[in-house]
Amino acid sequence: MTSATLDHYVLISALLFAIGLFGVLLRRNTLVVFMCLELMLVASTLALVAFSRFNGTMDGNVFVFFILTVAAAEVAVGLAIIVALFRKRQTIQLNELNSLKN
Amino acid sequence: MTMLSHAIFVLILPLVSAAIIALFLRRSGGAAAAVSTLTAAAIAVISVILALHNERFTASTEWMRLGGLVISLGFKFDDLAALMLVIVGIVGLCVHVFSLGYMHDDPAKARYFGGLSIFMFSMLGIVFADNLFMMFIFWELVGFSSYVLINHWHEKQSASDASKKAFIANRVGDFGFLLGIVMCYWLNGTVSLTELAAKGEAHTLVFSTLIPLFLFCGAVGKSAQLPLHVWLPDAMEGPTPVSALIHAATMVAAGIYMLCRINVLMVPAALDVIMWTGTATALYAALCAITQSDIKKVLAYSTLSQLGFMVAAFGLGSLSSTHLHGTEAHTVVIAAGVGAAMFHLTTHAFFKALMFLGSGSVIHGCHHEQDIFKMGGLRTRMPLTFWTFTIGVAAIIGFPYLAGFFSKDAILYLAFEKNSAVFALLALTAVLTSLYMVRLWKLTFLGTPRSDHASHAHEGGLTLTLPLVFLAVLSLVAGYTAFYPNVFSGVFEHIPEAHGSDHTIIFITSLGVMAVGASIGYFFYKSTPTDTLADKVPGLFAALSAFRNAFDGAYGYYVAKIQQRFALFVNFFEQIFLAGLIVRGLAGFVGLCGLGARALHVGNLNAYVYWFLFGLVALWLFATGVL
Amino acid sequence: MANFLFYAFAFFTVATAAGVVASKNAVNAAMCLLLSLVGVAGLFVALNAYLLAFLLLLVYAGAIVALFLFIVMLLDMKETESRGFGKLSLAAIILAAGLLVTGLSTLVARGHLDTGNPALTPALGTDIKLYSYQLFTTYLLPVQVMGFLLLIAMLGVIVLSKRWEGSDDVT
Repeated sequence: MTSATLDHYVLISALLFAIGLFGVLLRRNTLVVFMCLELMLVASTLALVAFSRFNGTMDGNVFVFFILTVAAAEVAVGLAIIVALFRKRQTIQLNELNSLKN
Repeated sequence: MTMLSHAIFVLILPLVSAAIIALFLRRSGGAAAAVSTLTAAAIAVISVILALHNERFTASTEWMRLGGLVISLGFKFDDLAALMLVIVGIVGLCVHVFSLGYMHDDPAKARYFGGLSIFMFSMLGIVFADNLFMMFIFWELVGFSSYVLINHWHEKQSASDASKKAFIANRVGDFGFLLGIVMCYWLNGTVSLTELAAKGEAHTLVFSTLIPLFLFCGAVGKSAQLPLHVWLPDAMEGPTPVSALIHAATMVAAGIYMLCRINVLMVPAALDVIMWTGTATALYAALCAITQSDIKKVLAYSTLSQLGFMVAAFGLGSLSSTHLHGTEAHTVVIAAGVGAAMFHLTTHAFFKALMFLGSGSVIHGCHHEQDIFKMGGLRTRMPLTFWTFTIGVAAIIGFPYLAGFFSKDAILYLAFEKNSAVFALLALTAVLTSLYMVRLWKLTFLGTPRSDHASHAHEGGLTLTLPLVFLAVLSLVAGYTAFYPNVFSGVFEHIPEAHGSDHTIIFITSLGVMAVGASIGYFFYKSTPTDTLADKVPGLFAALSAFRNAFDGAYGYYVAKIQQRFALFVNFFEQIFLAGLIVRGLAGFVGLCGLGARALHVGNLNAYVYWFLFGLVALWLFATGVL
Repeated sequence: MANFLFYAFAFFTVATAAGVVASKNAVNAAMCLLLSLVGVAGLFVALNAYLLAFLLLLVYAGAIVALFLFIVMLLDMKETESRGFGKLSLAAIILAAGLLVTGLSTLVARGHLDTGNPALTPALGTDIKLYSYQLFTTYLLPVQVMGFLLLIAMLGVIVLSKRWEGSDDVT
């Protein structure tokens, strides 16, 4: 097996991102959509760390801190919104959450 | 302090006074009056100091630079400026002191004194200006101050109409003035008066008939020559001290001053035009004055007439240039016009201000009655006003050895030398001047009182009478050039003086015209409640009145029929293109964009994700260079 | 050995990520996400970023996924999946799949990201002092902003989950 180069890590990151994107497009359960969103974020952190390692800098590593924080805040607020939405509409299926239509 | 700093101080002080009054003293009329009058006193004192100190200087600083065009502000303090400065200072002080008494009970006193201060600032700016741009700036400011002051009693519709008329008529003249400035800059590369003078000395000046004619347009507007004279009689709607200061002594004289300043640009053809305009104005105004019944209107037409004299005097200063050798004689002859015009301006400022203030005293005494047919018999009731006013009348009609006598003689002599037709017309005007002034004097002061107000008239307080006395003294002595210290020699050495047989001819002529006019005025007009001329010769009276109203009627017709229709026509296009197509079109376009953006918000979350994907694809294509 | 572990973890991560998307049950999806995160943590370790690997496990896997599970349990929905895809959905899926294939194949065939020998470039991620040095000097402002962000998020959550009087809520 060839040793893992930067190309491999970037490839993995791209794959994870694409899978996350598929999930966002395909799934109708809001919570699962949210999880796939987190997957995309993780993919970007992986790419950052890989670049940081292979270029010998610290910036990518440090940036992961911020991504982590933002993801945490976003999840907290997002889930609070979903819960509030569920209280109102009794559903979290995306195709039924369309009261803004027209 | 140097003289330059004195000059700067004199210029800035009234501006500061106006600012203080406008910002802090709006409600306290008494304090505003005090501030303004003290400022006027300071200006008068410093002006005299500046003039007597005999140090003449120029100084300028660059204000704006737009590419190659440089607009600078500066002082050009030569003998001409010194003379004008002293006139403005002294008459200004007299008017301020008079206003203390005259406007004592006015509710908007603060606004009035603020306007007076702004006017002093603007006028001093014109006096000191060393280049035509700066002069234009202050020219407009003076017009604005005039507007504010005429409009003082703005509740009266006639006053607001008059102020608008004054401003618009001035504006028409100023348009020509601006064209002249631009043309001067274009042909000569500079508008600085010192540089123009230097070019004139070096014979590198580019002459064109149009430059002085356009610049003269400004004087036509400001000094109310034909055809833009229509605003001056209406401007009498303002308070009487304003009429004295602005519309008799200083602002309307600014046109003459400006002409003297641009002396170096004059060409014989332009001077001919100027001369005939002045003569025509003088005669026309004198004919109009005969039929007036309002004391201030008579004085206004008299001012118009005297301004015509001054303008004609300036224009006369060129006619013999064609048969004298070279440009050197040319300049000397032009300067003679400057001397005569400025001399008459000086004496006129004093006696006209005196008469206006005197009329103010009369109006005040008769409880704001301005119709001379309702006055009469004031000789015994208001003696001091009567004697000072008499001195003023004597001065203007050219009574020997009073101020007006010498200055009018100078002009008549100039006309006699240069152009007999103008001489005859000016002599006729002098007859009419004596006629209507004596008529005014007789109907106002002699005889028996013709109304209740007149029979109960009384002299005003000290603030009303002191300026009258002071100006009367000046009217007596201002004609003697020996009276002036040597400091004004730059101007007064150019006053033409007749000698020998010419002297006798002129002396007899002026005595003759004065006597003829005065006797007609005195003996023909009876102290009746109606105009004697209207009773005895109604045809002539009607003709003169129609003659007076001709210009107003013509302008009214033009505005109503021609200009209004054109304006409506242009308005139609403006509604379609500017308001409709461009303004509403732009708004509509933005609205459409908004509607389009709104259509994207479907409410379905999946749709948003699809847009996200679309953005991703676009980014992809952009990155690969396809897009 | 390291290579083998890399491939193992890589495959594991991708497989469980696909599981997140594919599983019908929301709880299953959350579990798969957890495993996927573990895989990514392993990859971080392979990249010598040990602190980050632990942080990922603690924060992401430990807190965030746990939160997800709480909410899934709380909301307790019925399974109403399997309704087929609309036309627009299908088009979008095909487009995304096409992009994915193109991108990946380009990456594999021609992508040669230019880096030095990994054995020679220093593995800076091992030293915790470097993290803190960067955080407190170059990235000080973002750190402060993050603090602010967390405060606002907390406030937001509190406000959002409040029950108002007169609201007809189910739970």
